[in-house]
Amino acid sequence: MMKKLLIVAIFLTLLAALPALVAESMLNVSVQMLIAALFATAFALLCGQAGMLSFGHAAYFGVGAFATVHAMNAFGGEGLLPTPLLPLVGALMGLVVGLGAGYFSTKRTGTYFAMITLALAELLHSLAPHMRGLFGGEAGISSFRMPAWGFEFGSITEVYYLVLFWTVLCIALLWGLTFTPFGRLVLGLRENTNRLQFLGYNTHVLGTLVFALSAAFTGVAGGLQAIHIEAANYVFLDAHISTAVLLNTFIGGAKVFFGPAIGAATMVFFGHITSDLTRSWLLYQGVIFILVMMYLPRGIVGETLACYRGKAGALSWMILLWRFAGVLVASTGFVLAVELIQRFFSTDYKAERMADGWPSISFAGFDWAPFALGTWGLPLVLITAGIGLIIYINRRGAGQQEART
Amino acid sequence: MEQIMFSLLNGVIYGLLLFMVSAGLTLIFGMMGVLNFAHASFYMVGAYLAYTLQPLTGFWLAIVIAPLLVATLGVFVERFILRRVHAFGHAHELLVTFGLAVVIAEVIKILYGNFPVDYRVPSSLNFSAFSLGGMEYPFYRLLMGGVALVMFIALYLLLTRTRVGIVVRAAIHRPRMVEALGHNVPIVFMSIFGMGAGLAGLAGAIAGAFYTTNPNMALELGIVVFVVVVVGGLGSMEGAMLASLLIGVMTSLAVSVNASLADLLDTFGQGEWAREVGGVMTLQLSSLAATLPFFLMLLILLTRPSGLMGEKE
Repeated sequence: MMKKLLIVAIFLTLLAALPALVAESMLNVSVQMLIAALFATAFALLCGQAGMLSFGHAAYFGVGAFATVHAMNAFGGEGLLPTPLLPLVGALMGLVVGLGAGYFSTKRTGTYFAMITLALAELLHSLAPHMRGLFGGEAGISSFRMPAWGFEFGSITEVYYLVLFWTVLCIALLWGLTFTPFGRLVLGLRENTNRLQFLGYNTHVLGTLVFALSAAFTGVAGGLQAIHIEAANYVFLDAHISTAVLLNTFIGGAKVFFGPAIGAATMVFFGHITSDLTRSWLLYQGVIFILVMMYLPRGIVGETLACYRGKAGALSWMILLWRFAGVLVASTGFVLAVELIQRFFSTDYKAERMADGWPSISFAGFDWAPFALGTWGLPLVLITAGIGLIIYINRRGAGQQEART
Repeated sequence: MEQIMFSLLNGVIYGLLLFMVSAGLTLIFGMMGVLNFAHASFYMVGAYLAYTLQPLTGFWLAIVIAPLLVATLGVFVERFILRRVHAFGHAHELLVTFGLAVVIAEVIKILYGNFPVDYRVPSSLNFSAFSLGGMEYPFYRLLMGGVALVMFIALYLLLTRTRVGIVVRAAIHRPRMVEALGHNVPIVFMSIFGMGAGLAGLAGAIAGAFYTTNPNMALELGIVVFVVVVVGGLGSMEGAMLASLLIGVMTSLAVSVNASLADLLDTFGQGEWAREVGGVMTLQLSSLAATLPFFLMLLILLTRPSGLMGEKE
């Protein structure tokens, strides 16, 4: 426990010192990472700890954002709700909507539950453009951050600290929750609902409460996003928001507490640094997600922790290193293939093709001719070599283990 | 009157199309116990493949080959991806199919661009079947409905009248017992999955030409199909048929109605008040058409959770 707290303290100091260390554009990304981390952690309370898969969490994110923007406009950053306290509105609205939605959806479990959450989110998403007053139609609603408590909230640094404060506070609250009896009951809901019922707990009420709490913290994340970009529009309710948080959470590892936050922050970070290089980030994210689901079912952070604690069986560093090398080679080949395909099928290339035959594409410092053997052979060889290496290492590892026993 | 006839006919044919996609989905659900998120993606892949093949092979051959290719894709997905994660539990299977849906949509966007492609009804089929009160009714719609009907009958006969059908139904109901009797259940599952994917692909190949073929079609149709399956009762073929028709007719009729809650309240003399309140009160029913299926689904889940024809919880 002490060790854990020490790590957290070091990490927090780093986060607090971040504005002095990195450039302004990076700080912008950090704000996005923090919001995504909070969103994923709140989502994982429902999905990971209570084991109820929600496919429509964008609804609560959006509701939180819209409530915050309306509050920003109504109070003008003064009176009862100065700018730093605005996320509370998001939380409250998330809680209220979450109670309602949770009451309906937690009546069923498993696939039905997932379908209801999806339907509710889609319902809101398709209603929102028609309700001009509440959701501002296609254009959305914009607002301004007003100065309060001696802060201007004009610079990104101040916004960063505001977001950092709320994110850390909320994640700490959620972490604290896991140690309470209620947190234990939430785990029980995932592991064995029948037994909880036998013990006399009302699992429907419990499920509704967990749902509402998750929605409330999601609302805070939505509110922070609204404060950050000073606007909210109905894209916040879109299915891809629900998709992103789901992928991030499970890539990180839904069942370990800090997994979702780390996963989300990492994914947003990579999404940002690759956004200039590739248009296919979502494809990579999806492929990573499927591979993680197939080969690392506990998520990346979850599996790392399991290794560290020795739960995953004896592993030698050499084998891990070789596997890593194999993954690296194969993914280089895969990325190369995807990027080349993407470029050869792009509309720009089609226009060039119409103009003068089949020109080469320059990518990664080389010219790639569309019909050359090397263009498609190299990625193929890399992918095969990488996968072959992993298979070989796994077989040899299994053979050695057999020889030892 | 003609207007209503038109809407009814359109609704029935849209319902039949929904059934073509949801039939496979509900079969696969009965088998895996998990709703396959990627199912509507197979519909989209079918449309895009038929679009690609059409210039090479002509329309008819394209709508035969495309579903076969989609079925092959489905078989690969079942064999190499889903079977692997089966051991990790239901939640994992659901998530993997979700990831697949994302990946398929992204691949389509890379290959064809993030905009609708020009997949049209061939001109030899683009004529009106009959006219009703001065409005022409396109023949192609009837063709879509006909294909769906033929498919329903074929599937029904296959499942209820043949030996293969008996094994399939038994394997869905009690897989371990069927395995103990010496049937190869994994192969049965693989072929059901492939067939379901192929049917969705067929629906896509035919419907893609009439409606738009774009990278969002999977999501748009997918959600309606989930609603159909939940309303009809998970795992029930007849339920899927009933729910498809119900939702098809309902959405189609709602589009042509220009009334709002405020108009309804007019009958009680409260219309003016409702119009002043605005918001939900003045929303036209026609603009709500897309959301009606969700309301129906919530209603069903609250009053008859197992669906219209379902028995499984």
